[in-house]
Amino acid sequence: MPREEYQVPTTSGASSAGAMTRGATGGERHDSRAVMTYICGDCGGNVTLSKDALVACPHCAGRVLYKERTKRMVQFEAR
Amino acid sequence: MAPSATSTEWDHQFDTLRRQDLFRNPPTDHSAYPALQLAVNPHIESFNAIFRGDGKPGLLAHGLADIGTKVFLDGNDRADPEGRNRLNIRIKDVTLQKPQVPPSNKLALNREIFPAECRERHATYRGKLSATFEYDINGGDTIEFTRELGQVPIMIKSNRCHLENNSPDLLVRRKEESEELGGYFIVNGNEKIIRLLQMNKRNFPMAINRPSFTNRGAGYTTYGIILRSVRPDETSQTNVLHYLKDGNVTFRFSWRKNEYLIPVIMILKALVETNDREIFEGLIGPMGSKAAKNTFLTDRVELLLRTYKAYRLYSKSETRAYLGQKFRVVLGVPETMSDYEVGTEFLRRIVCVHLGNVDVTEKQDLDKFQMVLFMIRKLYALAAGECAVDNPDAIQNQEILLGGFLYGQILKERLDDFLGTSVRGAIRDYLRRHPAVNFTSEEFKKEFPGGIFRKSNENIANGLEYFLSTGNLVSPSGLDLQQTAGFTVVAEKLNFLRFISHFRMVHRGAFFAQLKTTAVRKLLPESWGFMCPVHTPDGSPCGLLNHMTHKCKIMTDHLDVSNVPALVAELGAVETSSASTDESVVIMLDGKVIGWSTPKESLRIADCLRYWKVEGTHRVPLQLEIGYVPPSNGGSYPGLYLSSTPARMVRPVKYLPLQKEDFVGPHEQPYMSIAVVPQEIESGVSTHVEYDPTNMLSILANMTPFSDFNQSPRNMYQCQMGKQTMGTPGTAIRHRTDNKSYRIQTGQTPIVRAPLHNTYGFDNFPNGMNAVVAVISYTGYDMDDAMIINKSAHERGFGHGTVYKTKKITLKDDSRTRAAKSVVKMFGFAPHSYVSAAYQGMLDDDGLPHVGRMVKEDDVLCAYHTVTPDYNGNLVNLDGITHYEKYKDSEVGFIEEVRLIGAESGSEPLQTISIKIRIPRSPVIGDKFSSRHGQKGVLSQKWPATDMPFSETGIQPDVIINPHAFPSRMTIGMFVESLAGKAGALHGLAQDSTPFRFDEENTAGDYFGHQLMKAGFNYHGNEPMYSGITGEELGADIYVGVVYYQRLRHMVNDKYQVRTTGPVVPTTGQPIKGRKRGGGIRVGEMERDALLAHGTAFLLQDRLLNCSDYTKSWICRRCGSFLSVQPTVSQFAPGKKKAPSMVRCRNCAVKLDDSEGIDLTEIQGEIWEDGQGNCWVGGDQTTQVVVPGALKFLDVELAAMGVKLKYRIDKSDEPRRGPMKPLKQISIGA
Repeated sequence: MPREEYQVPTTSGASSAGAMTRGATGGERHDSRAVMTYICGDCGGNVTLSKDALVACPHCAGRVLYKERTKRMVQFEAR
Repeated sequence: MAPSATSTEWDHQFDTLRRQDLFRNPPTDHSAYPALQLAVNPHIESFNAIFRGDGKPGLLAHGLADIGTKVFLDGNDRADPEGRNRLNIRIKDVTLQKPQVPPSNKLALNREIFPAECRERHATYRGKLSATFEYDINGGDTIEFTRELGQVPIMIKSNRCHLENNSPDLLVRRKEESEELGGYFIVNGNEKIIRLLQMNKRNFPMAINRPSFTNRGAGYTTYGIILRSVRPDETSQTNVLHYLKDGNVTFRFSWRKNEYLIPVIMILKALVETNDREIFEGLIGPMGSKAAKNTFLTDRVELLLRTYKAYRLYSKSETRAYLGQKFRVVLGVPETMSDYEVGTEFLRRIVCVHLGNVDVTEKQDLDKFQMVLFMIRKLYALAAGECAVDNPDAIQNQEILLGGFLYGQILKERLDDFLGTSVRGAIRDYLRRHPAVNFTSEEFKKEFPGGIFRKSNENIANGLEYFLSTGNLVSPSGLDLQQTAGFTVVAEKLNFLRFISHFRMVHRGAFFAQLKTTAVRKLLPESWGFMCPVHTPDGSPCGLLNHMTHKCKIMTDHLDVSNVPALVAELGAVETSSASTDESVVIMLDGKVIGWSTPKESLRIADCLRYWKVEGTHRVPLQLEIGYVPPSNGGSYPGLYLSSTPARMVRPVKYLPLQKEDFVGPHEQPYMSIAVVPQEIESGVSTHVEYDPTNMLSILANMTPFSDFNQSPRNMYQCQMGKQTMGTPGTAIRHRTDNKSYRIQTGQTPIVRAPLHNTYGFDNFPNGMNAVVAVISYTGYDMDDAMIINKSAHERGFGHGTVYKTKKITLKDDSRTRAAKSVVKMFGFAPHSYVSAAYQGMLDDDGLPHVGRMVKEDDVLCAYHTVTPDYNGNLVNLDGITHYEKYKDSEVGFIEEVRLIGAESGSEPLQTISIKIRIPRSPVIGDKFSSRHGQKGVLSQKWPATDMPFSETGIQPDVIINPHAFPSRMTIGMFVESLAGKAGALHGLAQDSTPFRFDEENTAGDYFGHQLMKAGFNYHGNEPMYSGITGEELGADIYVGVVYYQRLRHMVNDKYQVRTTGPVVPTTGQPIKGRKRGGGIRVGEMERDALLAHGTAFLLQDRLLNCSDYTKSWICRRCGSFLSVQPTVSQFAPGKKKAPSMVRCRNCAVKLDDSEGIDLTEIQGEIWEDGQGNCWVGGDQTTQVVVPGALKFLDVELAAMGVKLKYRIDKSDEPRRGPMKPLKQISIGA
C-alpha cells in the first residue's frame, strides 16, 4: 500500500506529509472500503480485513489481532 | 548441549551466564526456580482438590453426596404425601472442562483458549461446567441426563488449565512468563486471587470465654466450647456448647443464618441408645475414680440430667422423632420423611459433621456421642477454672481457608440451591399451570427435564464469576463464615515482589478489621515460623493482614492415618476415662476420640509417634501433627490431639534424634523445644533445631539485606515499600493488558543480596538500581529526607521508568440485557462525513490510531459511527456523523499497542479494541525513592555532575543523602549494605546479605572493611572528598558506598494539585473535592489555626472566602434578611440589559393595590413593580454585601425549618462612596 510507506518529508514541513496524501476531508475516499493489514496474535501471519469483516485470522481463526507499527514517519521532540 | 536436567540449586552469586542461558533457552524439563512454584502451590492444590484426577473423590463429589437426593411431589400441596407421585432427583456427577472455543466457532483450528488470550481480550478464563442428573419417578427406573450449567472461571495452572505442568519453554510459547506461577483466576482480563483467611482450627473443641455469650438469654454465662466441625467437602458447621449459671449446658448451632439452641442431653440421647447412668459415667468416669469425688462436677451433671427429665423423652427413637418434628421445616426435608428420619437427618447434617456426614453408621454416631461428652467435660473444666481458655487469635488454634476450598464450597452450595430452589420452583410453577398433569403422565415426560430445567436459572457459573470479580459472597447459609465481602483481591503485578506477596498473604477476616480492641492484631510468639513478624502493613490492616514465612506450607490433602488408631491402642491407650485430667487425658485424631491414657503415658505415645513419623515407619505420615498438650496447673486442657487434615500450616525443622526433616504444625509447636541455632540446643530438652533462623521471615522480609542490623520498624517499612516499587512485572509485558502497569527501564541486580534472591529468581524481575551513595549534607537540598541525584546519573538512565496504561474501548453497550445483540456501532469514519485534517492525521483509515503516535490531551484515539442493517443485511451508516473517543490524560503518551479483539465465536465485526499507551516517566523533582531499609526520600535536585563532590579515585556519587537520616532511625543495615556494596563492586563480587550471619566476634564491619582494605580503600568506608564547586577538600571524610535504590511508584505527576478557580459544589459555592475533578486541597481547621497564629489575615481571607465561596448578595438593611429582597421589573424597559436593575425588599415595602384609599400623591418614595405586575412602594433600604455562599445556604435551610435569621446592619457598614475622608479631628485636652 503506497500510502502507508515512509515518505521523505517535503520542504513544506512534516505536517503536510500526512495531510497532503490523505486529503483534508473524508470525501469519497471512504467508499472504497478501506482494507487494512493486521498481525494475528496467534499465528503471527498477516491478516487483511475490509471494513465490515469479521475479526478472525483466516489462517488460524485467531481472535486477537494487532495493529502493525505505522510506516509513516513518527517525529516528535524527544525531550 | 547435553540434555541434562535443569539445575535448581542457587547460591548468592551473580550467575550471569547461567541466567542468560536460561533466558535464551527456557528449560524444556522444569523450572529452575521451584521455590517460586512452591510458594503458590497451596492455592493450586486446593483448587485441584475440587475435581481430582487421581481416582479419589474430589471435594465436589463429597459435596454431592451431602446434597443427596431431592424429592418433589405432584398434586395438591396440602394433601397427604401418600398417594402423590414422587420424583427423586440427585446430581450424580459434575464435570468441568478446560477452557475451549464454543462449538459455534467453526473456523478455529486450535480449540483451546489460553490464559494469555483472556488477558488480551479482557475476557474470563473459564471452562464449561456440566452436571449429570439422575432421577426416578416413584422409585422406578432411573434416568440420567446431562445439563450444562454455564462457564466457570478456572484457576491458572490448576488441573483444569491448559498450563498445568507446562515447561518454561512451553509457557513462553504460550505467551506466559517463563516462571508463570498460576494460582489466580482471570476475570474480565483482571487477575484475581481468593485471599487466604485465618479460621478456627477444625474439629478441635476450643474453650472460649466471650462476654457476648451472655446475650443468648437469661442464665447464660460467658463460658462456651466452640467446635468448628468440617465435612469431607470442606464446608463447616460450628457447634457451640454454652454453660449456664446453674450448671446446665445447651447446644447451639446456626443454620441458614439463624441460631438454634437445644439441651445438650437431647443431642446425646438422640445420637445413641443410652441411659442416664451411661451419660453420667461417660462424663465423670467409672465409679471409684478420682473425678467421682469432685462434687462440683457431680452436682452439675446431676442437674443436667434432672432438668432434662422435663422433656419426657427417654429412648433414642423418641428423641430423634422429637428433634425431627421441631426441625422439619428448618431443614427443608421432603414431606415423605418420617419424624424419626428427619431427626436422623438433623444429626447427620448438624452435629459433629466431621465424624460422619453421609450414610452415618452407628459407630459414627457413637463417635459423635463421645465427642459431645468430651466437649461437655472440657466445658465443665473451663467453668471450674481447671483449664484455661484457648485463644482464638493465636495461630495455635487456627488454620487457613484456602481459595480453592472456598470456591468448592460456593460451587456446592450453588448446586444445592439450584436443585432445591430453582428446579423445585420451576416444577411447582409448571404443575400450577397444568393442574391436570402429574409426574407419571406422558406430557410431563416431554417437559422434563428439558423444559423445566430451562425455566430454572441454569447458569450457576455466573454466580461464581460474580464472586470472583466482586469478592462478595451471596449465600443463603453464609457458609459458616464471618464476612460476606472482601474475599478476592486483584493480584496486582506492579512488581514481582508485590505479586508474589499476594499469594503468601493471610487475612484475619473483615470482621476483625472493625474491632476496637487490638488483641487480634497482636504479634504472638505462637506465630513463630508460620507468620512473618516483619511483613505486615502499618496502619489499619496492621496485624490483620499477615504473610506466611517462606518455608511455611499449607496442607491441601488428607493424610493416610488409617494405621494410627491401632498404633495408639498398641501403645497403651484405653477406652475408659475419667473427667480428672490427672487420671486420664484424651487422645484425639482429627476430632475423633481414639482412646484415653494417663498423662504420663500420653507423652510416651506422642514421643513414639513422633519418632516413627520422622523415621517414616509404621505408616505414620510425616506431616501428621502430634499436638501434645502437657498437663498443667490451670493451663490449656491437656491431651494428645493428632491432626492429619488439610488447611493446616506446617513447616520443616530438623528432628534431633534422627537428624532428619520433621514437619511441625502451629498447634504442637508451643509445647515443643525447638532451638533456633545449633548452639542453642539444650541436651535433653531440645527435640528440634531450625534449619535456618531466616525461616521465620517471609519471602519479602528475606530480601532486606542485613535486616538484623536494622531497627525493626524499618524492616516493616521496607516490606511495604518493596511492594510499591516501580519494578519489572515480568517479561511477557507485551501480552498483558493491566489497566496500569509500571516498569523500570534500567533495572539491575543488587550487588548485596541473600541467596534466596536467586532461589526465587528475582533477577528475572529487577526492582532497582545500584547507586553510589554519599552520606553528606552537601547543598542543603538534601534536608529532611530529600535526596540529590547526579544529573549525569539521571542522564545515564538512573531510575528511568515507564507507565503503561491500557484502555479498552468497546462499542457494545455493557448492559447485561441479551436482547439487543445486534451491531449498532462500528469503528472507522462514517462515509461522506466531514473529518478535520487534524483528526484525519491522527488515525488510520480503520479509525484506529497508528502504533507509535504521540498522543496529547484531547487527541482522538479512535473514530466510530452508528450503523443500521439495510434490507440486504449490510450495515450502513445513515447519519454521516463520525464520533471520536478522546485521550483525556494531561500527560503525553505514545500508542504502544492497538489490539483488535474478536468475539469468542469469531462471527462479529470489530466491536472492541484495546489500546496500550506508554507514558515515559523519567525521574523528576518530587519523585520518591528508597533504599531497602525503609529509608525513603524525595528527589530534590538533579545536581550537575561538575558540581558534585568527588573522591580521590575520581568517583562521584549518584545519590546524596543527608546524615540526619540515620541517628533516629538506626538503620545500621544500610551502612553495612553500603560497605558490602562498595567492596562487592570493587572486587566484582556478589555479597551475601543473609541476616544473622555475623556476631560480636566476627562483625560485618570487619569482614567488609578488610575487603575494602584489600581494594585499597579505607577500612571504615569513609573517603576524603573534594567539593565539586571549589575543588577544596571537605573538612570530614565522607561515607561513600554502593546501595541498591528502588524507585517508588508515588510520583508527583500523579499527585500535584493546583487550583485558583474551578468547579464548585452548586449548593454552597465551595470548591469540590478530589484531584481528578479539578478540586482543591482543603484548608482545614488546623491550617486555619496556623494562619491565624501567624496573623496573616489577608491570606486567611483569600483562602477561606475569595478563593472559596465568595458571593455578592443583596440584603435589606431594615429587616436584615437575604430572603426578602427581589429585583424590580421596569414596565418601560423592554430588554433586560437596559435598565439598571434595582433590588427592593418586599417585606418592608407596601403593596399599593391592597390598601385602598391611599392617596397616590401622599406616597413618599418610588413606586416599583414586581414580576407579577403588582406595584409596591418602599423597601428601598437594600444594599449589597459579600458573604460566604455557605451562609446563604444556611439561611435558606434554617428558613425551611421556620427559623429566621436577622442580620444587623449598622449605618456605618454602608459602603463608602467617594474618596477616603480624613477622620474627625480628635479634640485634645477636652
